[in-house]
Amino acid sequence: MKNDAQTNVISVTHLSKHFAEYQAVNDISFTVKQGEILALLGPNGAGKTTTINCILGFLKPDAGSVNIAGINPAKDVVAARKQLAYIPEQVALYSKLSGLENLTYMSKIAGVNKTTEQFRQLLNRVNLPEHATDKPVGSYSKGMRQKVGIAIALAKSAKALILDEPTSGLDPSASHEFSELIQKLAKEGVAILMATHDLYRAQEDAHAVAIMNQGQLVYSLDGDAIKEAQLESLYLEHVRAVSTC
Amino acid sequence: MLILILKKEWLESKREGRTLWLSRIILLLLACALLSSWHSYQQLQIQKTQVAKSERERWLNQGEKGPHAAAHYGVYIIKPDTGLSVLDPGLTDYQGAVLRLEAHKKNDTLFRNIQDSIQMQRFGDLNSAFIFQTLLPLLIILLGFNSIAAERESGTLKQLLANGLNPKTFYMAKVFALSGLALLLFVPVVLYIVYWLLFGDNITADRSALFIVSYIGYLFIWALMTLIVSSYAQTARSALISLLVIWALGCLLLPKFAIDNAEKQYPTLSSQMFQSKLESEIYTPERQQAIAKFKQDTLDKYGVDNVDQLPFAWSGAQLQFGEKFSDKVFDRLFGQRQMQLEAQSLHYQSAAIFSPFIAIQTISMAAAATDFAHHQLFSNAGEIHRRSIQATLNGDLKDNGLTTRNRSKNYQGDHHLWGKIPKFSYKYPPIGQLTSNYGRAVICLILWLVGLISLSYFAIRRIKNEGQQ
Repeated sequence: MKNDAQTNVISVTHLSKHFAEYQAVNDISFTVKQGEILALLGPNGAGKTTTINCILGFLKPDAGSVNIAGINPAKDVVAARKQLAYIPEQVALYSKLSGLENLTYMSKIAGVNKTTEQFRQLLNRVNLPEHATDKPVGSYSKGMRQKVGIAIALAKSAKALILDEPTSGLDPSASHEFSELIQKLAKEGVAILMATHDLYRAQEDAHAVAIMNQGQLVYSLDGDAIKEAQLESLYLEHVRAVSTC
Repeated sequence: MLILILKKEWLESKREGRTLWLSRIILLLLACALLSSWHSYQQLQIQKTQVAKSERERWLNQGEKGPHAAAHYGVYIIKPDTGLSVLDPGLTDYQGAVLRLEAHKKNDTLFRNIQDSIQMQRFGDLNSAFIFQTLLPLLIILLGFNSIAAERESGTLKQLLANGLNPKTFYMAKVFALSGLALLLFVPVVLYIVYWLLFGDNITADRSALFIVSYIGYLFIWALMTLIVSSYAQTARSALISLLVIWALGCLLLPKFAIDNAEKQYPTLSSQMFQSKLESEIYTPERQQAIAKFKQDTLDKYGVDNVDQLPFAWSGAQLQFGEKFSDKVFDRLFGQRQMQLEAQSLHYQSAAIFSPFIAIQTISMAAAATDFAHHQLFSNAGEIHRRSIQATLNGDLKDNGLTTRNRSKNYQGDHHLWGKIPKFSYKYPPIGQLTSNYGRAVICLILWLVGLISLSYFAIRRIKNEGQQ
């Protein structure tokens, strides 16, 4: 989608997943290359989270495959997860532990070995206020929690970052700050998959956009076309089109 | 990773006021129970030693007296206690500590209503065993119910898994953290036992080892059960409710139901009914006939017409014959009763397959020698001693009763005769010899452990599959 010469970090090929009678994901394919931000758009129930769960190895696809930096999570989930970082809508952290302790714990679980000072620098890099570093996460705002989540991804030196509704509930300033951070990560070569409802953020940040509806990938565009597109109109057009089929 | 998770669990627990306060409350209760039991034990041992000493002196210095009169006054023997009874008094309060050994009667403190069965209505009685068997599992539940369920609820579990968490290590760390905390509260007891083993008496290594290992296993069972439920529950609240139901069933309702069921399956007579049955079966026309036949056989054997012509005091021989006649009735009726009570006990033990509480209660009392079986052992030893006393006194009367002018009726025994009766001394056998009394409970406890360790495989799989539903 961005530059074919770049390596595909996330590859989703003919992925299908159903739950009982419900076809959550139906034969979708896409790739996210190194340094690329792909915004996965779609209404609730479109299959975005199911796709993410297949990428994270939480769900096994019924058909098709997922590849993270050359590793299929359905075959070696631990190795695949070492290549990626995941930031859900609500970054799950231990409220009794400080941001620094959360970062240290989550990173060490991922096999990252850094000094306390290095972890502190990571929090500084994601602009977490210094006074908050040692305070319990229970007192953090959502934006601050997102920053800790990104610091965890940074600590892991993850090749891929999966974001599920990252800007939902953030105030404009925090949303902007978050946007800058992921842009910075992309420039450092991280492949970013961002499932979102935020069309503005998608248009601002993404190098590629894919619209999902009823489990199918119904539209995609990349490059300069994103900036030029009337994304909202396109989104509504494709979402409505499938819904009325 | 294990150490890392343990450290994090510890840090969270330290900051979690609930952990600290619950542990403090349990420790305070434990300290109260231990101090109170220790004080009572010390007082009781002093009293027992004094009573045993003064009773022996009374027996030896009772002056001149007819041997049969002395047999009727009887001898009091004291039931020994082990050092572990401080930790688990078991049925001690319901069985009494003193047994009167006298002529014609087999007394047993079991003949109190409360001892008619193995019923243990001890809830509310604050002792260490109650704390370990009932309150510590509750503490484990309160500390661990949200251990995995809350991580699921808050999303940290998914986050950790996405970060490459090994579910097995994660689960094991949770088990170690939770059981470690519970075992920390058990440390004072281990220290008490070690101290007692080094500097005290009335305690043996085999009983101590059984006691400690069983309790460690029991606490581990509750830690595993808590984490398995927590790993399956969707929410911490549902985990707590499920675990409280399991606790109430396992520690309160099932034991009560098992006792009632055991009593129904193997009924015993009430004390009063049993006493009247004993008397009606001892003092029968058959007894009179047997004595008359014994008299005639003896007269025939010695070729004399009446007992005055016998070369020994007839009364001594007749009394001993009567004793032996009664002994057979005692053996039969007490034997039947003991079989029923043992059957009750085994039936109750079998219910340990449904409740680890029953298993640990049985093993704990067995190790502390405060169960029904140990009381029975003491009671049986007392009966052997009683029969030996009767045989000695009746034999003396028979052999020496003729030396007095008015024949046996006025024969008086003195300190030489009293000295022939040995001092009663009883020590409980090694616990390994009594496996039939607690073996089922041990097997059930092991089965619980094996079962829960096996179920842990599914709990780990459940954690691994987080995010699939």
